[in-house]
Amino acid sequence: MAGSANGATTMPEVFARVSADRLDRAAIEAFVLTPQDGAMVTFEGVIRDHDHGESVELLDYEAHPDAEEFLRTVCVEIAEEFGVRVAAAHRIGRLGVGDVALVASVASAHRADAFAACSALVDRIKERTPIWKRQHLATGTTEWVNL
Amino acid sequence: MHVRYFAAAAEAAGREEEVLDVDSDATVSDLGSALVARYGPVMARVVTSGSFLVDGLATRDPARRLGARVDVLPPFSGG
Repeated sequence: MAGSANGATTMPEVFARVSADRLDRAAIEAFVLTPQDGAMVTFEGVIRDHDHGESVELLDYEAHPDAEEFLRTVCVEIAEEFGVRVAAAHRIGRLGVGDVALVASVASAHRADAFAACSALVDRIKERTPIWKRQHLATGTTEWVNL
Repeated sequence: MHVRYFAAAAEAAGREEEVLDVDSDATVSDLGSALVARYGPVMARVVTSGSFLVDGLATRDPARRLGARVDVLPPFSGG
């Protein structure tokens, strides 16, 4: 990123979104990919049908009202640390098996940076973004994940 | 102090927000103890494994002073 006239570094441009809308992977990838990039890595977090040995039927995701700002902060950090372009979108609301809850995409000139940055991005999103999910199990019970 | 509850914390408290009468110099530890006494074992799990949002930063520091507003955040489980 280019520095400004007074020497301060410009914050990298990222895409971050938390919403109930179906995730648009193509738009997210189009955001990160530029002609300078030779590598793009995209992670999709997908609802699976089991957890700790139990059958899972549905997940309800909830987000803090500032979750998108936390997500944006993480994206900016990764963009600065790895020198890559970053986009991430998290879906909330009721999701079923096979639905995509998270799309996280990075692009860089070479693949090593893209793999490393995408992995760190997903780890940090899970660690730092105030989003919660409640699992509906096949047994009829529900539980908050990680509690 | 204006306290907001989210996800499992809201479920444990049976409400999404309330005004609690706590000392103006109260810490995260003080609020955690008050919440556990008030709302029981599920809130205890939230307080033990979650965090508190104070001035825009999520903290688990028991000595952190609270302001006029705090959010009770269960452990995150996005992704």
